[in-house]
Amino acid sequence: METAMQPAARERAVRKTLLGSLGLVVLAATLAAPPPASAADSARRPNIVVIVADDMGFADMGAFGGEIRTPNLDSLAKDGVRFTNFYTHASCSPTRSMLLSGVDTHLNGLGNMSEWIAPNQRGAVGYEGYLNDRVATLPQLLKDAGYHTYMVGKWHLGKQPDQIPRARGFERDFALLDGGGSYWDMTNISAVAPKSVFTEDGRYLTKLPKDYYATKTYTDKLIGYIDANRGDGKPFFAYVAHQAPHDPYHLPKDWRNRHVGEYDKGWDAVRQERLKRQVEMGIMPAGTELAERMWFVPDPIVLAPASRAILGKKMELYAGLVENMDHHIGRLVDHLKKIGEYENTIFIFFGDNGAEGTDLFGMIAGSPGSRDNLYAAINWNQTNFNAWGDPGSWVGYGPMWAQVSMTPFGQFKGWLAEGGIRNALIVSGPDVKRPAGSINHGFMHVADVMPTLLEMAGAVYPATRNGEPVPPLMGKSWGPMLAGKADSVRTDQDYLAWEVFGNRAVRQGDWKLRWQFKPYGKGDWELFNVAKDPAERNDLAAQNPDKVKAMLALWESYVKANNVILPSRGPFDTLEKDMPQRVTVYPGFPPLIYQRQFVPPKELLADPRP
Amino acid sequence: MNNDARPTKQVAWARWVVATIFATGLLGGTQALAQMPARFYWKPLAGSNAVPLIVNSFSGNTNPFDPADTVTPGAQFDATMAQAGYAHVFSLFDRSAMAAVILPMGRVSGDVTVAGRTVNESASGFGDPMLEFTFNILGPKAQQNIPDAMRYQPGFSVDVLADLAVPIGEYDSSQPLNLGQNRWYGRVGMPVVWQLGDWVPGRRTTLEFLPAVWLFGDNTNYDNGKTLKTDPKFQLDAHLSRDFTERLWGSLDLAWYYGGQATINGVTGEKLNNLGVGFTLGYQVNNNLGLTFGYKSTINDNGPGDLKMDVFQISLVYGWHPLIEGMNRLKSE
Repeated sequence: METAMQPAARERAVRKTLLGSLGLVVLAATLAAPPPASAADSARRPNIVVIVADDMGFADMGAFGGEIRTPNLDSLAKDGVRFTNFYTHASCSPTRSMLLSGVDTHLNGLGNMSEWIAPNQRGAVGYEGYLNDRVATLPQLLKDAGYHTYMVGKWHLGKQPDQIPRARGFERDFALLDGGGSYWDMTNISAVAPKSVFTEDGRYLTKLPKDYYATKTYTDKLIGYIDANRGDGKPFFAYVAHQAPHDPYHLPKDWRNRHVGEYDKGWDAVRQERLKRQVEMGIMPAGTELAERMWFVPDPIVLAPASRAILGKKMELYAGLVENMDHHIGRLVDHLKKIGEYENTIFIFFGDNGAEGTDLFGMIAGSPGSRDNLYAAINWNQTNFNAWGDPGSWVGYGPMWAQVSMTPFGQFKGWLAEGGIRNALIVSGPDVKRPAGSINHGFMHVADVMPTLLEMAGAVYPATRNGEPVPPLMGKSWGPMLAGKADSVRTDQDYLAWEVFGNRAVRQGDWKLRWQFKPYGKGDWELFNVAKDPAERNDLAAQNPDKVKAMLALWESYVKANNVILPSRGPFDTLEKDMPQRVTVYPGFPPLIYQRQFVPPKELLADPRP
Repeated sequence: MNNDARPTKQVAWARWVVATIFATGLLGGTQALAQMPARFYWKPLAGSNAVPLIVNSFSGNTNPFDPADTVTPGAQFDATMAQAGYAHVFSLFDRSAMAAVILPMGRVSGDVTVAGRTVNESASGFGDPMLEFTFNILGPKAQQNIPDAMRYQPGFSVDVLADLAVPIGEYDSSQPLNLGQNRWYGRVGMPVVWQLGDWVPGRRTTLEFLPAVWLFGDNTNYDNGKTLKTDPKFQLDAHLSRDFTERLWGSLDLAWYYGGQATINGVTGEKLNNLGVGFTLGYQVNNNLGLTFGYKSTINDNGPGDLKMDVFQISLVYGWHPLIEGMNRLKSE
């Protein structure tokens, strides 16, 4: 707290001194200068709303083939463009760091998540675990360019006073600094940091507003910020980092029972339905195969109805949570329409990584006798089916539904298969000149957002910050794509690379080289043609050694340019031993479980002879 | 980071379902104060069975084996009554239904004044068995399978109820105090369960009502050949029930009795218009066994013709469902 107060006190003193002289300067400037051209320019510049959903999958929205009812997001998609080849990172804070800095994670401080910084990464630049001060941030640059800058929702990029949203360029903020926690109160996940930390306008909150519910409160706050500065001629940049639909699935009661029983049919059926719609809509090409069901996930056909109902209920809650978020996004959109700003607002919507298939709660609190288990027994003990969604309940939907959310891809959050890093993207607004409702398959990346928005706002990326060189932007502006002048901003020679938790991948053109820990990967490099095989079913490394070699060279180049330090320890070190042995899952195998009771022909039925 | 969240590990549902089935105790009624305990009309999975054993220790001015609650002014009865029975829940036209039989037994003794003559009498043995049928007309559909049972929440549910006592209990016309009533009688009613708030074990709350009318045939061999007639008796039972923990619950109970005017050989007694209040504590011992303890007493009972009684009650209900029993056997392997 002391460290928080000292800069604040200094700031107040400086502000007091400056305010008096500033008044004179402003008065003089107003009298002397012509009407500010920048004000007129600002009026023409678009507002920007970037909405990030936490752990939402590629296939969840109606506009991407989901059965979840998302009319407001679908409406944005209808007015704008859907992008199907958009990449994030495999986990939360790395994606957010690239969104807000435009710089690779290994340079911007999120070379590893703060929760998993490895012994050999400690102290290295780029592995601070928070968005480091070497990078310039999108809100700061937009603010410098005359934008109001607002942030609501989850931050997860640092908690110290010089790391929080206010310090990184947001004028107004209402932020959850942690990576997750209750949607209803300040209860955090584990005993190590039992209380979630929130800020509002740069101050750490001692309590939450009355009637707090994350998604609603974030939306209310943002609408308030927008209204507070309406009419001053300046555009705004709003970063809406929803906590939804990250687990725990906390949602108001009237959103919990909108899909009762709909998911009892099981994950395989829902994945097939989603893929069918994706193909019909043009999201995925005809002939796309589903990724194989994870080898440790059973075919729902073998489960008792009660198991399907319980597991289906988890998906029901997830769907409700997504629908509730969509509702509040709709409130924001409606408000912008009401105040006449909608037509001049760029919307960018995407999920921050693959859907969550890990049993996060079990991982943290699952060991009886542990500190976190005791904490869970006190704070997260609402396990009854009917309590799910309430404060104190923790529901995540597991790997089977995460695969549904990531249809048709394989795997999920935390991994570098397409299911971990490829997500749905919608862009709409005045700078989007492509046909409304169209679909684009260009190769895109979350780090592209920063150059794109800087270009739209007429802002410039600096060469230095605090006298030090700023790392180069890794992304490319989508300007030509959005203007309809190009189908992709990347050529077949451009490449992207990822590393987190020791898993690594490179994509160039249609090809993707991937190294993952066993049993999710082979513990070796695998090669996929993700254009033909987005589900990454067929490892082509053995047939294409030259391609592997060429892409390995790209990987080495990436490592060198970005100071990639593979972790000496990580979350997957013992996974191969902890999990069932991986086997290939073939549809219809084993026939044993698909057989039916044999019914003989009636005319051959007989009673036993005496 | 273990992603091995195998659905087959999700066996917790079985526990929830079992708790749902037997949390209430299928049958816990008693004719003493003629009031079913709270939670009696919560609905379990179709196919469930229960055997109740209810023991009452009773004191008052009416025979607890007689649901007419005929008041004998100045009398003081003490009784120990047990009821054992069987109930089966099933689906009928997709609605929940229950058929039950319950047999009262025990002993009663006390001073009885008839026609100015006071005698000390006692009786023991079996009373009149009672058949009960309930049928749900408003609220959730019958729970045909375990997912239905898991999703059960009463909301606002209404049943129709019919009881019929068969007059085969022990009866001696030479004395006015008997266990059997020597006449047909029964009841029609509409049990109501109104869920207040969440349906989560540990915090369930209900308001329950049972408005009912008891109807009585004539006993033409009452006390050495007299004729006993009883007007219909209206009874309203009400309970405010609340979980204290997932296994422990309690209820505040109220009963209002009105009517039931008795006539013996043309001599008419008084109408009932009395209130009884009490409480019940319930505890779910395990997946099969539920216990309750309760006490009830009339309150506006100072007049000589007022119904006056109090009763301690302990009930034990053993419930089962073949499916759940099978699961339990597998678990114990």
